[in-house]
Amino acid sequence: MPEIILEDPDGTFAMLRDSVAAFAQRFDGAKSLRARRGAGRDLDRDIWSAMAEAGWLGLMLPEDLGGAGLGLSEQAILSEALGRALITEPLAQLSVFSGTLLAGAEPGAERSRLAEGLISGSLVVSPVWQTTDGGFAVVTATADVAGVTLSGTADLVVAAASADVFLVLARSKDERVLISVPAGSDGLSVSERPTVDGATLAQVRFDGCPVAAEQVLARGLLGNDLLDDAIQATRLTLAAELAGAGSKALEATVDYTKERVQFGKPIASFQAIQHRLVDMWSVAEFSCAAIVNALERLADEPGKPAALAVLAAKARAGDAAVDITRKAIHLHGAMGFTDECDIGLYMKRAVNLNATLGNPAQLRLQFVALERAA
Amino acid sequence: MAEQQDWNSLSDTEFRKIFRSWVDENCPMRLRNMRKQRPVFDELADWYHALADKGWLSPVWPQEYGGMGLNAAKHIIYVEEWARLGCPRIPDHGIGLVGPLLIEFGTEAQKAHYLPRILSGEDVWCQGYSEPGAGSDLASLRTAAVRDGDSFIVNGQKIWTTLAHCANWILLLTRTSRDEKVKQKGITVLLVDLTSPGVTVRPIENLRQEADFCEVFFENVRVPAENLVGEVDKGWNLAKAVLGHERIFLGAPSRPEVALSRLEQLAEARGAFADPAFVARYARLRLDLYDLGSAFERFAKQLRDDGTLGADVSVLKIFCSELYQKITEETLDIAGEEARFLDDLPTGNGEVDAMNLYLDSRALAIFGGSNEIQRTILAKAVLGLPS
Repeated sequence: MPEIILEDPDGTFAMLRDSVAAFAQRFDGAKSLRARRGAGRDLDRDIWSAMAEAGWLGLMLPEDLGGAGLGLSEQAILSEALGRALITEPLAQLSVFSGTLLAGAEPGAERSRLAEGLISGSLVVSPVWQTTDGGFAVVTATADVAGVTLSGTADLVVAAASADVFLVLARSKDERVLISVPAGSDGLSVSERPTVDGATLAQVRFDGCPVAAEQVLARGLLGNDLLDDAIQATRLTLAAELAGAGSKALEATVDYTKERVQFGKPIASFQAIQHRLVDMWSVAEFSCAAIVNALERLADEPGKPAALAVLAAKARAGDAAVDITRKAIHLHGAMGFTDECDIGLYMKRAVNLNATLGNPAQLRLQFVALERAA
Repeated sequence: MAEQQDWNSLSDTEFRKIFRSWVDENCPMRLRNMRKQRPVFDELADWYHALADKGWLSPVWPQEYGGMGLNAAKHIIYVEEWARLGCPRIPDHGIGLVGPLLIEFGTEAQKAHYLPRILSGEDVWCQGYSEPGAGSDLASLRTAAVRDGDSFIVNGQKIWTTLAHCANWILLLTRTSRDEKVKQKGITVLLVDLTSPGVTVRPIENLRQEADFCEVFFENVRVPAENLVGEVDKGWNLAKAVLGHERIFLGAPSRPEVALSRLEQLAEARGAFADPAFVARYARLRLDLYDLGSAFERFAKQLRDDGTLGADVSVLKIFCSELYQKITEETLDIAGEEARFLDDLPTGNGEVDAMNLYLDSRALAIFGGSNEIQRTILAKAVLGLPS
């Protein structure tokens, strides 16, 4: 089945894949997802701690912050494998996005504490920065004697109920600042909405929420590359997870259609079915190729070529995974429409990730706008 | 004979530079970016001979036979630069098909006789595979070759024989025996002189109203037995073997690339980029092309590393041909009322051959194994789906 193909001279990638496979033996993805959904939780802390123990949460964080100091290639291989195994804890946002912001923040005690907690799994650090249309939320930080006071609303916050700390991107006069806000702070409220794949996204409101001055982690984030870097890294991580989910859904569907007998033959022997499966396989191949291209551009041609490549990879992988999983449901017949059958969970997961940080239509328009900009 | 060097020992960048600069200097401008997909030999004889004199006509033949001896990685560069400079496709069945077949399976006498005549342009070859009743199901071919003393007597008909009317030799798949169970058995490869008595070539006008392919009729045509390639009845695998890594080029992004640049040119001229609905459609096509490049590189890398390709490479041909069609369809859409014109559309900044490309784009999804055949092959070979 299609996968991200990268040279692996020292066997790191194979090791990462093996470690996810072993992990999935302990924590079955579909089963965990159903359990978490049934309990109405936005994060499974046991799984999250196990992921920390596996060394995955600090994969890309620099070594001086206690991370593994690895790159996006390793992250992509890991996330692809997690996507395959349907391990759905929101690593892209909580580890990659939050981690990239922390790595770029100013050195200090609070940053070290958060990085350490993020890596060990003891602190869930949820980024807070978007509106429901994916743009920047308006959260205002007003300076006062004690520090700053936050007011405003943000949406699309993952693991908000489980979060120990919110990493808030706020506006202070004409600059953007990054602020660490403890969960449960005065004037802070969280209201969750369910997502299709059994997790939640929350609206987080700041109603005169006081924050100490030392909680401000970074300033001057307007026109600074940090946020772009975080978005780019997260998009590529999501693309890899989508590619993994798509590839696994294809595999499951190939297996199912080979077993399912109607009219005295496996339905996979019918040409109408075969051609659909081939089309699913094709877009899965293209997703993997697009992700490898993005990783190569990031390494060789940072800047515009890399930015274009990441937009293309997320768009392709998202389109492909949603397309594959939808067809996968159809090819599973009535079984595919049941909650009992895992294939539907792949589709729901794909829909969630596809909509995260830009859907394919939006990303394609961004690509064209960026490419055509003089 | 031109002097050669070990091209494969050069870095890719070096080779690309050397190849590009000579081709750019020597390929006549009148032949660049031609509308015609397949110019005939007489139109580009000077360019053909220039390449032959330089020793660059035949990229993959070993140097001892007058080729460049390029490995797959360098061959890809050769083809890429060729496309980038807008060079015309040359009548290449001798170079791409007959040469490699003889080099691998031919006798010493055949190699000594035919290979130099290909390089000199003395022999122009065509490929006699498809028949009226054997298209997608090629192995059911029926053109009969019957042994008669030191000859074969050939009777039958070929069709869709590209540029047969400009060729003097044909590589012919014939039926020498019939196995009821395995129709691939009993096929024999013959080299046939098209000037032999009993051969009739009738050009067929294609959708673009060009005579590009032909019907070829054989009526008691006597072919010397020494023109047999390989063994009698065992020609099917020969015919398949020479396809090799060249299959990757059927899915190379150059065709949709040219088409997209024409679409952009027309869209600029007609102000279509101000229309958000067009931009959304354009963005999809642009990203498809971009991703085709990434996918092509995925297979090119495999070729560089392993020297071979699997059946999975035909995914490129399917995607490429369907994208080519979508782009040319969009080009006609934004041409509006003008979409009816056969001739090129003026833009104030050069002309756009919208209809030419639209018609041309119908072909790629059909030839070289239709996309449906390709999907069926992928289903079996890659996904292991049952019959």
